[in-house]
Amino acid sequence: MDEINWSLLWPLLALQVLLAVIGLFSLRRTEATRGPKWLWVFILIFGNIIGSIAYFVFGRKDI
Amino acid sequence: MPSLMQVRNLSKSYGKHLSVNNINFDIEKGHCIALLGPNGAGKTTTLRMMAGLLLPTSGSISFEGAIPGSDYRQQLGYLPQSPSFYGWMSGEEYVVFAAKLSGLGSRDAVKMAAEVLERVGLKDAARRRIAGYSGGMKQRLGLAQALVHRPRLLLLDEPVSALDPIGRREVMEMLREIREETTIIFSTHVLHDAEEICDDIILLNQGVIAEQGTLGALRSKYRIPVIRMRVEKQEQAVQWLQSIASRTFVTEGQVSGEDAVFNVSDIKEARQVIVQEAAALGIPLLHFEAGSSTLEDLFMKVVGS
Amino acid sequence: MRGMWIFSQKEMLELVRSYKLAWIPVVFIILGIMQPLTTYYMPEILKASGNVPPALLESYEMPGAAATMAQALGQYGTMGLLVLVLAGMNSLSGERYSGTAELVLVRPVSMISIVFAKWVAQLILLAVCLGFGAAVAAYYTGQLIGDLSWMLVIFATGIYGLWLLCIQSLTLLFSAFLRGPVAAFMALLSAAALSLLNSFLPNWLEWTPASLPAYSAQLLTEGSKSMGSALTGSLVSAGLLIILCIIGASLITGRKKLID
Repeated sequence: MDEINWSLLWPLLALQVLLAVIGLFSLRRTEATRGPKWLWVFILIFGNIIGSIAYFVFGRKDI
Repeated sequence: MPSLMQVRNLSKSYGKHLSVNNINFDIEKGHCIALLGPNGAGKTTTLRMMAGLLLPTSGSISFEGAIPGSDYRQQLGYLPQSPSFYGWMSGEEYVVFAAKLSGLGSRDAVKMAAEVLERVGLKDAARRRIAGYSGGMKQRLGLAQALVHRPRLLLLDEPVSALDPIGRREVMEMLREIREETTIIFSTHVLHDAEEICDDIILLNQGVIAEQGTLGALRSKYRIPVIRMRVEKQEQAVQWLQSIASRTFVTEGQVSGEDAVFNVSDIKEARQVIVQEAAALGIPLLHFEAGSSTLEDLFMKVVGS
Repeated sequence: MRGMWIFSQKEMLELVRSYKLAWIPVVFIILGIMQPLTTYYMPEILKASGNVPPALLESYEMPGAAATMAQALGQYGTMGLLVLVLAGMNSLSGERYSGTAELVLVRPVSMISIVFAKWVAQLILLAVCLGFGAAVAAYYTGQLIGDLSWMLVIFATGIYGLWLLCIQSLTLLFSAFLRGPVAAFMALLSAAALSLLNSFLPNWLEWTPASLPAYSAQLLTEGSKSMGSALTGSLVSAGLLIILCIIGASLITGRKKLID
């Protein structure tokens, strides 16, 4: 309990990064977004899991 | 031999507004029919009812004499005014999907899709996502999906009105080819488009059929002797022009400023009287034409009233 | 039937191309990891946040493995459900409002085929998300807190999943006649109303689908012997609700093919 078990923690971080990467990949391919693309890049990189969900649900016009 | 489609007493109302009011017509196999009329005449509503997308308020549509209400959608190809596709599909995927939904087997669907995409000039763009297509490309893709399963009746809603002149020409050329293979009914608000490729015209205005028949029959029916003239802007000349309207040989006259159009009963008499008077009074004539009215005049008259 | 198959293929392709089959499972896995982790590290988190009375820290008792797993499934009933409903809200309304429906409905394909294909796609999405999410949550709970019966986890997840599927089906029904966001709101509102009613009148409404989350938790913590006939009632009523949603959605789509 005293020392943090990194082997259990890093997958969580990796998955959050993966989510943002999927978002960025989709953003590169999509034709039209609601709001400017650079804003969504910002949200995906710094917005954590909520930012990524927001992008996937509201960000794209042509799903 | 029954006609391909029979439309009887067809009406559609939205609340109190009658969009289509008790129309009747037959579509003969192999013909090309133009549903002509101004915006709001009920053309789209009529086509949508024929495509089974809207339920008529009353009346019936029957395909090849089958009982009204039986499913004839497999025989139809339909292109709406502004077709929308799944942007995430490629053009080829969409046409294959459409062909399969209309009952083609997978292998046939792929083969027919490739053929029809080449025909509409989308061969090179077939594997690209539809989201990146231009308006003209989407219209051609729309034509491809309507044609892919070789429908026996093609319903096209304003197929060229949203296109630029070049795109319009391309689509008209395609339609000219297609009309050799299948029966077409298409709506338009441009008489010229109808005259260019159609045999029959149904003139629709405010939900009612104002006139219908073959192009030739309508032309000769509405060939009324007409005199068109224009004078210089001069008080005496304009007054004289107005006085012509009340002569006995004029059945109907329209004078607007220095221009006038007269329907006349006897073109010889009218020509003689007018030319002689103009010479005697020294009327400065700019334009004088003795001819016959065109479908354009009919169209304008129906739409204007 | 062939129409249904063709339409399902299109729906599956759409799930892949819209990245839904990637991002939603990842979100579910993240949720599944987070719950056992926060439970395990709660004392450190409380300590780090400062002004927590030491007495409270002393009295903190680590929940058991079963309770932690039940809490993880509970996450799927809130955040997970929100994501699934938002992802499914446009399934019918999107086709109607964008106009893609007009080109599909002129072809000889029945309404029930289209609606059922869309429902199957929702089911597959749910199965993938919940399958991976619950497996990871169970693994983390096992590593950090204590042993779990895999059999019970599978059944409890299935029961919870049925509740989620009910709300997805309601979303589909609302999507047949409302705009996407409104449909999502109505579906979430129904889910909240059903759960709330159920918590006020648990004895009256023990046979409704809204009791399924409670049965799922009960199964994990108390084992299969505790389950009574009320669970059967909930399973049957959930099945009926889903069938009604599918039939209702196809009838409405058939009547209202186009937007006016």
